[in-house]
Formats: sequence, C-alpha cells, structure tokens
Amino acid sequence: MKPRIEILDTLREHIFKTVSTYYKSLSDCKYVDVRLGISEFKSATSENGESKDVTDDYDASFGIRVIAGEMSSWGFYGQSLGKNDLKIKEITTLIIKGINTSYERAMANAEKKQEFKKSADSLTEVRLAKIKVCQDTVPADFEIDPRKVSLQKVLKTCVDASRQMKELDPSVHYAATGIRTGITRELFCSSEGANIDQTLPLTQGVVYVSAQKGESSPEVCYDYVGDLKGWEIIEGKNCYNSSFLDFALERTRDTIELSGAEFLKTGKGEVIVVTDPHFNTLLVHEIVGHPTESDRILKMETAYAGRSWLFKNMDENQVGKRIASPLVNAFSDPTVMGYGYYKYDAEGTPAKRIEVIKNGILNTFLNGRENAATLEQEPNGSMRATASSMVPIVRMTNTAFGPGKKDPKKIIKEVKDGYYIVSHRIPSISESRENFRISAKKVYKIENGKLVKLYRGGGIMANSKEFLMSIDAVGNDFKMYPIPNCGKGQPMQVMRVGNGGPTLRGKARLAGC
Amino acid sequence: MIKTEDLRTAVSGALKQIKKQKDVIDAEVFASWNDLITIRLNYTSDIPCNGIHEPKSIQSYGLGILATFKRGNRVETGFGSVTNDLTKEGVLDALEKAKRNRVYDPDFKTLPEPAGKPALTNYHDKRVMEISGSDSVDLGWKALNGALKTLHDGGHNKTIIIGGDVTILRERMAIKTTKGIDDFDETTSLTANITAMIENKNVKGTGWSMDTHFATFKPGEAGREAAESAMRTIGGRRIKSGKHNVIFGNQPLTDIASNVLVPSLDLSSVNSSNTPFLGKLGQEIASRNLNIYDDGSIKGETGSKKITCEGVPTGRTDLVMNGRLVGFLSDNYFSKKFKNNLYNPISRNGFRYSAGGRDYKNKPGISPTNVIIEGNRETTRDSLLKQVNNGVYIGRVWYTYAINGLAMGDFTSTIIADSFLIKDGKIASPLKPNTIRINTNINHILNNIIGITKKKRSTLVWGSREVMIAPEIAVSNVQLDNITGFLA
Repeated sequence: MKPRIEILDTLREHIFKTVSTYYKSLSDCKYVDVRLGISEFKSATSENGESKDVTDDYDASFGIRVIAGEMSSWGFYGQSLGKNDLKIKEITTLIIKGINTSYERAMANAEKKQEFKKSADSLTEVRLAKIKVCQDTVPADFEIDPRKVSLQKVLKTCVDASRQMKELDPSVHYAATGIRTGITRELFCSSEGANIDQTLPLTQGVVYVSAQKGESSPEVCYDYVGDLKGWEIIEGKNCYNSSFLDFALERTRDTIELSGAEFLKTGKGEVIVVTDPHFNTLLVHEIVGHPTESDRILKMETAYAGRSWLFKNMDENQVGKRIASPLVNAFSDPTVMGYGYYKYDAEGTPAKRIEVIKNGILNTFLNGRENAATLEQEPNGSMRATASSMVPIVRMTNTAFGPGKKDPKKIIKEVKDGYYIVSHRIPSISESRENFRISAKKVYKIENGKLVKLYRGGGIMANSKEFLMSIDAVGNDFKMYPIPNCGKGQPMQVMRVGNGGPTLRGKARLAGC
Repeated sequence: MIKTEDLRTAVSGALKQIKKQKDVIDAEVFASWNDLITIRLNYTSDIPCNGIHEPKSIQSYGLGILATFKRGNRVETGFGSVTNDLTKEGVLDALEKAKRNRVYDPDFKTLPEPAGKPALTNYHDKRVMEISGSDSVDLGWKALNGALKTLHDGGHNKTIIIGGDVTILRERMAIKTTKGIDDFDETTSLTANITAMIENKNVKGTGWSMDTHFATFKPGEAGREAAESAMRTIGGRRIKSGKHNVIFGNQPLTDIASNVLVPSLDLSSVNSSNTPFLGKLGQEIASRNLNIYDDGSIKGETGSKKITCEGVPTGRTDLVMNGRLVGFLSDNYFSKKFKNNLYNPISRNGFRYSAGGRDYKNKPGISPTNVIIEGNRETTRDSLLKQVNNGVYIGRVWYTYAINGLAMGDFTSTIIADSFLIKDGKIASPLKPNTIRINTNINHILNNIIGITKKKRSTLVWGSREVMIAPEIAVSNVQLDNITGFLA
C-alpha cells in the first residue's frame, strides 16, 4: 500500500513540535525551518502509438535550513524519504538527525566566516527580514481528482494522441506524448512558529513531433499544456481551451506545415516585429522575470545564471528609471492561477502580487527574506524549491507583461512592412540579460497589414532595453502559459513557472538560419 | 551512510525473491546510495554577503527493479523502486510497483548480457567517502581564499565578486540480474568551479579543478586561476560584427560540445529524429583532422565509472573518426533497437543519473562519461595562434543553445570572459566581455577546423554531468555579432 498525502495529518503536529523545541537545545542555533513534502502521481509516455512507460507511485523528501553560530551562517540538509520513514518515531529521529547535520555545517561555516572577516569586511551575519508568521492549511483545488484517474486512462490518452499524430501525414517521422497528473502536499514548520500545510495538484501534458519533407532538416516541435489543477486540464480546461488530443494534433499540423516552409534568413538591421502572447511568454521570462530576481541583483548568480543589467550597485541602478516604453507593464503574481501559483512561498511568506514594471518604469525586484533584508525591502514571497529536499531560491511566479487596450488584429493591420513572430521556441540570453536571441516556431512576413508568407527556423535578437523601449502597441489579448523547465541553482533545480502577456509590437533584428 | 556490502546483499536477496515469482521472465535489481554535497561561494566586496553561502547536501538510497513479465504471447516490462528500504518487504513493494507499471513496448528486446571485465577497480577515495561536515566547508573557504588573496595581492579590493562552488559527489551502487550480471561500483568526485569578477573593470575570470581524490584536489588553485584570469583581461575592447577566425578554448569547446554536439551523437536523438547527423552514419561530417570518442574507463577522470548502471563495463565508444561519423552513444534499450546487419551499437552509456547521483528511482538512459576531442595532427597553442593570425581567442561562453533545435544545428551563445583579440599570430588586447554574440552552426564548426591543440584539459560546465577532455580548436569564419551597445 503506497503512502497517501493524508499521512501528513498524523505527522504535522509532531514535526511542528520537534522543530519548535529541538533547536533550543543547540547552542547558538538561531533559526530552523523544515519542509516535508509528499506527492502522489501517475504518468505515462508513448511514441508513435506505442506505450513506452507508466508509473503510479509516490515521492517524499524533506529539507532543513539552519542558521547558527556566533556569526550567523546557513547550513542545509535534504534527503529522500521512504514509506517506513513516514511514521511518527522514525520521522522525528530523521528530522533531529537532519537538524544536527545542518547545524554542524552552519557552525563550521560561521567559525570560518569569523576568521575571514579580518580580510573581507563585507562578510556579515545572516539576517532574515521579518514576516507575518502564519499557521494555515491550504487545500488543493481541482475539478477532477488526479488520484481518481486510472493509470490505464492516462496511458490510453497518451497512446491515442501519439498514434493520431503519427498517422496525420507521412512526413511525421516521430510523435511522442507524455502526461503526468498528481498532487503534492508540503508542510512548512519553522522555529519562529510557522505551521503551514499547502496542497497543490499538477497536471501536465507534453507533445514532441518531428516531421521532414525531402532532404531538408527535420522540423521538430515540443510544447506543453498544464496547470496546477486536476485531470480537467487534459480534457480541455487549460490555457488553450483545447483537449490534450486536439492540442497534440494542432502542434503536429503546424510542424508538418513548417517542414515545407522556407528558412528565414538573418536580417542586417532592425525591422518592425509583432510578437504574439506565446512568444512573449518566453520573452518576459528571460528579459523581465530573470533580471528582476534579487539573487541576480545581489550578484549571487554570477557564476551560474548571471547578473542583471538593472542593478550595478546600491547607488547606480535602474529602480525608478524608465527601462521600457510607457505602454509596458509587467507583474509577478503567485495569487492568480498558473504554474507559479501558491499561497505561501518556501519560507512561509504570504504570496502577493508585485508590480515589476509600471508604465515603463522599473519598480522592484522578486525576493526572499535574506535578500529583502540586504536590499532593505519588504519580503515579497518569491522563494521556491523544486523538491522539499532542495534549498529554496528566488523564483519567478506568474510573471507576465500586463494587458493593453489594442485589438491584436489592428496591431498587425497597421504594419506596412514587418514580421509576425509566433510561439516561442528556444532562448539564449546574454550574461546580465541585456541582450537576447529567442527563436520562434513560426515567422510570417507582414505586407500592408496582411500575413503573406510563412518561414521556419527564425526568431529575433535585440538588446533588451532597446526592444522594451521600442514597443508602440500592446494588445488586449493577455494569456498566461506554462513554462515547466526553468533551470537555476547549483545543483540545478528545474522549476515550473507561469509566464505570459499580450501581443506586442516593437523593433528587433531577425535571426534566421 | 549505506555500505556497498549492504547494497550487494540487498540486490542478491532481491533476485532470490524475484526468481520465486512465476510471471517474471527476467529482472535487473539496482541499489544505490548517493550523497551530493555542495559548498556554494558568494563573496561580494561591496554588498553584505556570507562568503560561503550555504553548505548543503542531498542524500538518498534505495532499490529499483526493472523486470520483464509474461502476459499471453507478449513480454511486458515494468519498473518499480523503493526509497530508504533494502528489506525483503521493500523488494516485494518494488516488484509490486514494477508489475503495476508494466507495459508492452515492442522496442524493448532483452536485458543486458554480461560483457567482459571492467578496466577500473578500486578507484574511489575512502577519505572522500568519510569527509566531515567541517572539512567539506573548509574546501569552499580554500577556494574563496585562493581567489580573494590573488585579487588583493593584485591591488583589487573593491567591486569584487567571487562565486561558484565546490561539489563533492559520493556514489555507491550494486546490480544483479537474471542474465548473470553481478557487480558493484563506488565513486568519488570533487569539483571546484570558480568565477572571479572585478565589476568596475568589467572583467570576469574562470578557474576550475576536478579530481577523484582529496589529497590532489586543489580548490585554492581554482580560485587563484579565476582571479588571475580576471586581472589579465582588464581593458577589453569591442570588435566589429562579421566573420572571424577564432580559437575556442577548453571551456567554450566544452559548452558547445555539452549543449549541441554530444546530445546530437546519441541514439535517443536519432530515435526522435532530432540530430543534424540523421542518416549520416559512415559519412564524413567533419574535418578529417577530428576524432571524438567517449571513454568512461580513464583512471583519475571524474566522469569515469567501473560499470554502467546496467552493469556493463565502461570503455571507449568511437563517435567521429578522421572526420567520419562512426557511432552513437547508447544504452541497452537503444543498442538493441538500432542493431542491424551494418551497425551494432555497444551499450556503454546506460546510466541512471539525476542531480544527486546514480539514482535507483530512474530507469537507465543515455549519458556521456568522459568525452575526448582530439586531432590527428595536433599542435601547440602558439602554432594555432600563428595559423589564425588575426582573430579572436574565446575563453568562456555562456548560455549556448541549439537555437533552432538540435536537428538544424544552429547555435548561439555570448562571450562573457577570458577572451582576447589575436593580432599577427599573438594574443593582443583583451576582448570586452558581454559584447559579442556567436551565431553559427555546428556543421560549420566541424567542417572549418584550422587546427587542434595537443594539450587538453578536463572541463565541466554548469548543468552537465559529463567531462569533456577538451583541446583548444581554431575555426575559420565564425559569425560574431556586436551586441549591447547601449551599455557601452
């Protein structure tokens, strides 16, 4: 019998009590938090109408952060949990052992920090900005319980879709699908008294198709549909308003059409580009979401995901300055539905909407408690981890360009000579997010307000500020899409986030093959 | 900490249990224990910081069963795993999951057969297996000190950023199958990847150290190297957009290989028609000077393993020989699927990696080990500079992606550090970081090689597990585009 998420009903108060009391027995231990999560899920994959893999299982783990030492420092420990660990006596023993390991690391780190302070005076004690300490239970919200969907149904949905994709046209070489549906419950207990119990469902489908005509390169497409909801996502209650099968077939038709299209050539100068909401999903992710994460602002990601051109130092930065056209607004909001939805972040901070760019002016950054203290800001609850066993880091939530007032058809109609950039594909961004190249699934030539020709293998490149400043039209067709695979951290954490926006019109250089 | 003997006992006991099951045809039992320790550096001279931000670890152990079952005339496969449980009950639980999760996959043929003796034995470091919390934290501070002292000695005290990490990976595994495979493996690796920056000079330097043993691991040297490299590139200049002759240093070559080239050279990419080398086996795809192969049996390299996670001894798999495509990386599943009269791929790359190590929760998939890139006519860096004459030496790139998908081969990335202009066959002034985007195609790189150095360096890039044993390679006519003029 596999463990159910309801097992946390039994464990919750014991974990809270252990965290609240045990740390007091450790000298110079200033803070402890524990996240313990369990998820139940079903998944299936299929290729070309054949079943490949199914799984009906659970996953559980915990992670412990400790701040300790005369010169307060962090220590962290995380581990996977099995069925036999999810009992009161066993879990209490493991948590105490985990606190001890984290504490030992924090104390060793604090001692070294004190020693180095003589030659490096910016070394400082860990400080956490104050938050409202909460005790709450957040139930899952879904129409069709992922746990009540049979494994056979998950597999059949995958197999039917990949078979119909493959049969659509002889040019389809390969068609694959995957579905995962489940529910995750996580406890957050801290030595400050937080006791939060959040449950979130997740249902996601992925399609992958490769089509080739003649000797030309295969055209490959992969795309996702998903949300923090139940099986209703697969049946059509999603951002595409389309069943998983229809979504899969639509992507396949697009790929077949593209496989016969002409390749776009790289342009020499700027041209007018109209970018659709799906393309702007990745654009806002890369040039607004990431550069406004406070760990990049504070240079903590210099060796990995990079810095941010928005912040040179405390005196020289773009806060309060114009970085985009007055038509541009951007926000980050974990309180609305999307892959970045939650009520409390991984530090127990209540979620709230952040206006990141207001009428083209940079307003603020996404933060956690430590970075908020360093930047002397209010914590805004943007810390998440991929699994309970991993350390939380600053993450986008549902981060998007805000809607405008213009009909997107009119935005295209007004263009005499330009390009319509449709659906995002792959990004490459410069180190401080000051320049980007992002490929699109489709690029259409616009002549006299009409789409006249389809190209493949294209996209746009531009300096981020110049592109944002060039925006002269914002559509009223706001959409939020799932981004399931944002990589950040060391070791790498792959996180789901929500991104989106309306149709935009600006200037950029075409990037082709 | 779970001992290797415990894992071996568990897989033996499990196989005995499984053999009693009437509906099981074959089974592979894999048990592992992994501990990934990361000591993350974050020093900023002008912003309050922790120096070492967060000593942390993720630990896991458990057992996974991949089994084939008879149902009517068909053979079905299923996989199940249990965490923190090596008992008889745990085995039965995993087997029950494998039964529940079984499907008919016509591409699955059989489990791997025993295949010779491993080249590597007893190559891990007991000291790393037993490293204490304070010793691991100390390695991080050594790396930081190496960079900081070098910068201070060079007269740089302000706008300094030092980042990166020291990572210690400890893995133990055992495998036993009904086909006769019965083996185990223990590995230790230590890596330091350090970035040093003097922000008001707009320079960044990189240093790294990789080892399998504590005694020879030098995180302080990685810090020193990063700082020295940053200082060397002060006063960088911009260049104009256009086609340039370039030398890709160890790190850029590794970044391109890890993100574009090697993923295109495995059979899962062939399976999904997502490689520019589709249908090109046996054909010339690169300069005749170029050889590429994977070898997981090189002693002392951090990508080495005694056996794969399918119990197959590691060894050399040739991918490109004299510019000709001669093979693809494979695991057991794909090697049997793609075997034909003309091609018999060997499954030397079936691993169950996740972020934390060799993961009992995963079924095997294809992963590279150590990828060696070499030339038939290798030369020195000085000679390479002379051959290029005028161009760009690229020392570090970032965010390399196959921008239009692997199948098209187009890729792009930005030059962020450690780079110089080459003038009259010599390194001249530094290149200003973050001002150049590379826009090219992997086929262009492979077919326009000017020269390859003899000297190579084991290199790892962020987010990748495989080690590239990378030379420096000169390539003609690479498209470089000037960017970010608004920050000039």
